[in-house]
This record gives sequence, C-alpha cells and structure tokens, in this order.
Amino acid sequence: MSTIISLSVLGVLILAEGLLGKKAWHLPTILIGLLVSLALTLSGWNLNLHYYNEMMIVDNSSVAFSSILIFTTFLIFMFAGHYYRGVQRPLDDIYAILIFALVGSVMMTSFGNLIMLFLGIETLSIALYVLAGSHKEAITSNEATLKYFLMGSFLSGFLLFGIALLYGASGSLNMDEISAYTVREAAHLSPMFKAGLFLLIIGLAFKIAIVPFHFWAPDVYEGTPTLLTAFMATVVKVASIVALFRLFSHCFPAIRETWETTLWILAVLTILVGNLTGLYQPNLKRMLAYSSISHSGYMMLAVLAFSARSADALLLYAAAYSVATVTAFGILILVRGAKGNDLFTSFEGLGRKNPVEAVCLTIALLSLTGIPPLAGFMAKYYLFATALEKGYLWLVILAVLGSAISVGYYFKPIISMYLKEGEGIKLEAGFAYKTHIVFLTVLTILLGLLPAFLINLL
Amino acid sequence: MERSFFSSDYFPILIQSVVAFGFVALTMTVTHYIGGKRKRIHTLRKEENFECGIEVKGNARFPFSVQYFLIAILFVLFDVEIIFFYPWAINFKEFGWNGFLEMLLFLGFLLFGFYYIIRKKALDWD
Repeated sequence: MSTIISLSVLGVLILAEGLLGKKAWHLPTILIGLLVSLALTLSGWNLNLHYYNEMMIVDNSSVAFSSILIFTTFLIFMFAGHYYRGVQRPLDDIYAILIFALVGSVMMTSFGNLIMLFLGIETLSIALYVLAGSHKEAITSNEATLKYFLMGSFLSGFLLFGIALLYGASGSLNMDEISAYTVREAAHLSPMFKAGLFLLIIGLAFKIAIVPFHFWAPDVYEGTPTLLTAFMATVVKVASIVALFRLFSHCFPAIRETWETTLWILAVLTILVGNLTGLYQPNLKRMLAYSSISHSGYMMLAVLAFSARSADALLLYAAAYSVATVTAFGILILVRGAKGNDLFTSFEGLGRKNPVEAVCLTIALLSLTGIPPLAGFMAKYYLFATALEKGYLWLVILAVLGSAISVGYYFKPIISMYLKEGEGIKLEAGFAYKTHIVFLTVLTILLGLLPAFLINLL
Repeated sequence: MERSFFSSDYFPILIQSVVAFGFVALTMTVTHYIGGKRKRIHTLRKEENFECGIEVKGNARFPFSVQYFLIAILFVLFDVEIIFFYPWAINFKEFGWNGFLEMLLFLGFLLFGFYYIIRKKALDWD
C-alpha cells in the first residue's frame, strides 16, 4: 500500500515539476523516488498486511514481484535521459504516465479482490494506450496506439464479464471466498462459473500476449517508442503473468482439472508459435516482440505447476528475463539512434567498432536463449524442474524444443555483429549509458552464478 | 412456483421471425420487379452533395480542431468524480475526521489535476 501511495505521489510530483518548467529535475526525482518506493516495498517483507477489507493483500510474493517491477522500471528510466535527449516537447506527462502505469502493475501483484485486479489492469492499460501513441508525429506510433486501444478495450470487456460471471456463481469477489466456493462446489461446478473462468483466462491471455491472443503484440511493440516498448516487454508482461499466477494459485487450485488442459494447450501454442514466428522477423524489435511472447509461454509453466517452488522459479525467471530484455532494448535504442532502423543488417560490423555494446547484447541474447551459466539458463532450469516435479513431461519437452528453435533467431544479430563485414557504425553512447549497460550485463551473469539469492525467498 | 416452458410457448416468436424475414424478402423482390426499368445514368451533377441548390465549395473531408472534444472529455472526467461524493456524504458521520481528511486528500489530487490542465492551456480555445 505504501508502495502505491509513494508511486502515485511521485507521479504527481513529476507533473508539478512540469508545471514549474523544471525539465532537468524529472529524471533525478524519478530515480530517487523509485528507490524510495523500492525501500518502502521491501520494508513490508514478512509483515503480510491486509488493507481495506482484503482488497489488497501485501504478502511476501507481492513484495518480491513489486520490487522486481519497480527495479526494472528504474533500469529503464536510466536510458530515458539518452533516449529523449534533444526532444523539445515537455516530458513530464510521459514520465508521469509511465509511473502511473507502474502503480497499476503493482496493484496487479498485490490484489486480494477481483475488482482490484481489474482496476490494476485498467490503470496499466489506459496508461499504455497513451504511451504507445506518445510519439505523435510518427504514423507507426499512431497505428500502435489505435490497434492496442481498440483490441485492449474490447478484451477488457471479456475480463470484466468473466469477473461478473464468477461473482454471479460464487456470490463474492473476494479471492478467499471464491476459493472456498470452488472447494465446496468442486464436484458440480456451475456452468456460469466455468464460463466466467474461461472469459477471465481470455482477458488475461490478451494482456500477457499468449497465443492465440498475441496478434496485437508485434505491431504494437514495433510502433511504440523503443523506450516504452522496453517497459511493455518487461514490466507489463511480468505484472500480467504474476496476476495470472496469483489468481490461479489463490482461487482455483481445487478445480485444477477444469482449466489444466486449457492452460497446457495455451502454453504449448505460445512456446511453439512464438518461437517459430520469431524466426521470420526482419528486425530486432519485432524479434524481441516474439521473444517476449515465447517467454510468456515459458512463464505459463509456473502457473501450471504452482507450488511454493514455482513461485520462486517465476521470480527468478521474471528477474532474468527483465534484465536481459532491458539490456537488449538499451542496445536497440543506440542502434536505432545511429542507423534509423533496426534491421539485422544494421548490426553488421558492430563487433569491431563497438566491442563493449556488442558483447553486452550477445550476453543478453544468450541469456534469453538459455545458455549456461547465464541467468536465463538457471531460470529455465528451475522452471522446468518444478514443472517436471508436477509431472508435465511433455510440456517440458516441448518447451526445451522451443528453446532450441529460439537459437535460430537469437543468433541472427550475433552473427551479423561478428561474422559479417559491414561499413560499421559508431554508436554514440555516453559514459553513463555504457556503464549502465555493463552493469546490466554483470547483473545477468551474477543472477546466473548466484541464483540462490532469489530462489529460496518465497 | 415451478415454471416450465414447452416448445409450443415459443411459437409466437417463430411467427414473428417468419413475418420479419418474409417482409424484408418480399419487399425486396417485389420492388425489384415492379420498379421502373430505367438505365442509371451517372453524371457529375447527380452525384454531387445536395446543398440547397447552392454550388458546393471545397471538400467536406478536412481536419479541424478538436478543442471541443478535449473540453467535453475533461468535463466528463471531473463530472464523474462527483459520483464519489454521494456515498461519502451519506456516510459522512460514520467516517468521522478520518474520512474527512481522506476526502480532502482526494480533493487535493483532483484540484491539482484541474490546476494542471489550466496551466497546460487545455481549456484555452485557441
């Protein structure tokens, strides 16, 4: 709760600074404010606080996931100064909306009531509709925001309708009471409850971009300004997956057989379609969009195999995925800035001209592929191990197959950078930018070497 | 009382549907046959927009300012906030000072938003 309040105040503070015309204050305020919020979040560890008649429940899992979301946003804001350099328009609105989106995502990790889940998703989504179109002059940005808004608002209706049906069947929006209802009625569940459950799955699957509800993702990611795409691919994705995980592990464990097959099929489809379509993408940004789709497929494994250990595995996976993806987007911003596009041919000759950036991008992509000893490997290892414990042999085999396919596209930019001769480009990264990218890379390696730091938390 | 329906209860709906679809089908077929068989001639004059006999000037499709839209949306935003005051006013005594302070906080945020849009010149017409 203190997280939500401090972040909201931070957003308003940025707007006030915008009114005063103090553009240079924005980033320092945001970075300090995010660190303060992070500290406030962590101070709730082991307290297990309940707010407003169980509307919000801040337990350890929500503290851990909120911290990851806030930290990822912090990492993304470190790129903002470089990304928006030379931009004449005031930036207070974009920054404030980004912070408000973060508030929504924090709500999605700590809801105790389905209304709060819906509110969190809407706070996040409405902010994102605006952010996707924040580059007003670019026609691609306009396309992205319109597509995202039309489809997103339509699918929000599914989500709300699903919640209404669950309420109609169980008589409560409280997660504990819905859980008690499913235990009581497990043998003869009413069709209304089942319909509500599946509408809920559809609504959440759209937000996470799970196949077959993923069609918006590549276009929207491509059109959105790159810095905000990084936010979409990491914070939004992790928050939605965590919401799904929290919902299913709290509410519906008793009626597992009702939804197990559906989620199984969705996970397999997401992993295979995401990875196979990723092979045919012409540029890095669309490729990262498909990469994020397939990674949400892997994270579905944690939802299917829920247990205390799978929450741990999801935490590690979310951290590893976020850090590596933010690194990749950091380099993407540099290459787009220098070349004007992010086709794989633009990366030719990068290995010799900018060795530091090339090595960092390589490590990030290897981590996303799941090559030991990087973070992505440990995360995948723990995730697949928890799934195997629950007996999902075929699911794990298909997921490993998907990872093998993903080598095909993750190695494309690496091959371009090192093995192809190009005219080469000099990326104009400042010292701070470079340091930040190196810091992210070190973080990826450290998470791979010392996963125990995150694994036995929950 | 236990209510049960037989399929015969839905008979009026069937009749209604048949009449509705039948009317559409009938009028479309009949007008097709009894209508005059005139060759359609396309002329510039005929396809013009009707403008009370005055020559049409310019194109109707051009971008125009959406100032009114902005004001309307801001009005709706602040108008809806009033909904929050009704339940609060009814429970005013039960909430006590704590509720009063919380409402002041809410109003503070709201007024800050109002101040923001004024300073950002969202309400200026030009």
